[in-house]
Amino acid sequence: MSNNGASPQYDVVIVGAGVSGNLIAKQLGLAGKKVLILEAGLPVPDSREEYMNNFYLALAKTPEAPYPALAGRTGTKDNPAGKLPDPATLPTPRATVLGLGGAPDVSYLVQAQSWIATHPDSPEPPQNPPTAPTGEVRGLQFSSTFERNGGGTSWHWLGTSLRELENDIRMWTKYQHAVDWPVTYDELQPLWALAEKEIGVAASVTQQEPLEVVGLEYPQGYQYPMQPIPTSIVDQTVSQGVSGLEVPGTLPDTPGGSDPQMYDVFVTPTPAGRNSEPYDDRRVCAGNTNCIPICPIQAKWDPTVTLGKALDTGNVTVSYQSVAYNVAVDANNNVTGIDYYQWSRDEHGNLQKVSKSVTGKVFVLACHAIENAKLLLMSNNWKGIANKSDQVGRNLMDHPLYLTWALAPQPLWGYRGPLATAGIESLRDGEFRKYRAAFRMEIGNEGWNFATGDPYTTALDFITGTNDSGLNTDGPNGTAQRLGGTALALKLNNLLTRQFRIACMFDQTPLQENRVTLDVDPQTGKPNNVDGLGLPRPKVEYGFDPYTMEGFRMAAYVCSQVYKQMGATEFTKNNVGGTGDFTYRGVNYHYYGAGHVVGTHRMGPDPCTSVVDATQRSHDVQNLWIVGSGSFPTVCTANPTLTLLALAFKSADSMIAALNS
Amino acid sequence: MSTSPLTPGGASVPPPPIVPATPSEAVVQSFANMSAALTGFQPSFIRPFLDPVNLSGTFYSFAVVQVGQAMMDALMSAYSALSSQTPPLSSQAIADALLEISSPTPSTQAQLCQAIVAMWYLGSWYPPPFQTNGLHQVISSQAYTKSLVWNLAQAHPMGFSAFTFGYWSQAPASLETFGVNTGNGGGQ
Repeated sequence: MSNNGASPQYDVVIVGAGVSGNLIAKQLGLAGKKVLILEAGLPVPDSREEYMNNFYLALAKTPEAPYPALAGRTGTKDNPAGKLPDPATLPTPRATVLGLGGAPDVSYLVQAQSWIATHPDSPEPPQNPPTAPTGEVRGLQFSSTFERNGGGTSWHWLGTSLRELENDIRMWTKYQHAVDWPVTYDELQPLWALAEKEIGVAASVTQQEPLEVVGLEYPQGYQYPMQPIPTSIVDQTVSQGVSGLEVPGTLPDTPGGSDPQMYDVFVTPTPAGRNSEPYDDRRVCAGNTNCIPICPIQAKWDPTVTLGKALDTGNVTVSYQSVAYNVAVDANNNVTGIDYYQWSRDEHGNLQKVSKSVTGKVFVLACHAIENAKLLLMSNNWKGIANKSDQVGRNLMDHPLYLTWALAPQPLWGYRGPLATAGIESLRDGEFRKYRAAFRMEIGNEGWNFATGDPYTTALDFITGTNDSGLNTDGPNGTAQRLGGTALALKLNNLLTRQFRIACMFDQTPLQENRVTLDVDPQTGKPNNVDGLGLPRPKVEYGFDPYTMEGFRMAAYVCSQVYKQMGATEFTKNNVGGTGDFTYRGVNYHYYGAGHVVGTHRMGPDPCTSVVDATQRSHDVQNLWIVGSGSFPTVCTANPTLTLLALAFKSADSMIAALNS
Repeated sequence: MSTSPLTPGGASVPPPPIVPATPSEAVVQSFANMSAALTGFQPSFIRPFLDPVNLSGTFYSFAVVQVGQAMMDALMSAYSALSSQTPPLSSQAIADALLEISSPTPSTQAQLCQAIVAMWYLGSWYPPPFQTNGLHQVISSQAYTKSLVWNLAQAHPMGFSAFTFGYWSQAPASLETFGVNTGNGGGQ
């Protein structure tokens, strides 16, 4: 493409209307810059009623259930067979929970096909991937999903607004593991404050003070924008139950060394991006217990809030249904424009596309860690741009999530309040980080909904006499019961009100071989799998190193200690041979994705080993910023949204400075 | 790509719906009473005096479309016989009889009763005999937002809370308040 010497159409062209893109649009719009956002997906709807209705009618209420290009609605009039859409037919396919582990006709991400004997006719018993001589387990499925529509994936973020710890961002200096971030803790403090104000984070510095033991510090006199969210009875019960509990830094026989120090286990309320008082014309949280997949009343901040403010500047335009496929770079390593497909459906439902280009002075890729990498690799006729370091797409990380669940000895009434209101953050840092992954522990308020699909699973168990929940064992000789009437109601009341769960999320090691590439045949150069616009799909390779898996071993131990101390009965089940199953030191584990997709365009000071600098500006291409959690060098121990928003403020400032110079 | 079930023009034409005759008031009330016994909820909770949502009517008609009028008529007759016995059976006894709780191989009619419990509890249709690959479906948005299993958790359907800020830090109201018939032959 070429602008033929004409003036650029915009000061800033941003790809993606999510957390980072919308914030940068707002900041640049406020600074009087003309901004265009190219958003691949459909517009933000005027009301969320349609999304809510999609959710209500979805049998599998997965994170993607409410959103366009629906997946998860089964047995409806429009989709009687409940078939998932083929990503090859969609203009903006995305990874979905229901597509995980599937072949490319249901899974947008092309992943190493399971070597697992999953075919029902296979004579082989199911097994988990083998451990390589390096100790790594390869061939795992990347289990996080995302959205491609106006507002992005953070329509269904949880709202958790924890700050990273100081040692999270200097892992190499402190523990000789992984890498340091190119920004300092002090530098992040005012940026976090800006992000907390933008979101409207509800929390109390006083309540967070006990976390000084893991290095959490606030500037003198800092206060969050609003009062904290009350903790749930689940939180209160766990908090009392773990009183006095200590665990060692490492378990016996941890590879590499040991940390015998004892660490206190205690519960703290979680800073939350949901309203405890009216804020930004949005209501207070009513405890719909539905932050994921969708808050029905927008009491939880989401990126559409910031998009509205961006549009209010009068300087920001959004072009929806506009899928960028090439970032055009000239001989001087400057982006001259972005080529994109504007798509639509004709009256027969057939997909139409028109190729368009837009010029600008500054360009921002803000379309998700996996899509950013894909777009960089697709540019320049699929030879890639901004990749002299060869790090684009590498170091793919998540917070692999280890879920455990238990039945409390007395009711603690889950299924009420925001999905999570507190956690155990006291094990997020220590000398053990030399030897194993640190983790945070999120206490859930949704019973066993995440764990087993309850209340559905247990209800059906007792209606039909099955035992998928593990709870239906009170019949003769431990067999399953079948109940009806009041007996059924009281039984379910007894069980559902005692359910709770804990999710552990790990600071996974960045690995070069965990990567996103284009799903292209190396011989022919042609894509193996494409989307509905004919663009190549992302291919993902993923695995864990022993450092990460040792974190799982510790987490399983800590959860069991917590349940034991509380007098709760643990029901955690780890299967073999399915998506997200692996074996470490003879023990089976299952992990979920947390949606915290990180690392694919890591930031760092050295252009040879990183893609962007500390302002998220490309080392190689001068007027290109690549933003979002893909810039994180490590995934750390906090949920990433707050910090990626904080970094977007810093990037916006650097763009304004560049445009004004 | 025109075959995607998700594209408006590509959707297959659904068969014309079978529209049953609107059930009489007496039939709906009888179905509601039977549903109350099967689910362990109070009859006045299943079918309030003022009932603009009328899930009883919706579920009755839905089940008729799924299993046929003859099978529903047979079930309603069986319920009628049980509920008119002298001395009267407890609602627990009626539920146990209809669901054939003591039988290891419940009949087709008992499995229909299981599906009716699932409709009320889960807002969804699980076609009897609950085969795993059956076409489960959420009956309607209101069937979800009024589904009763959440009341058994003394909570609310996820995504549909009528409670107010901070309620989750306090113990919930009693199970009776949530409509459960706790006093009639209950216990384990």
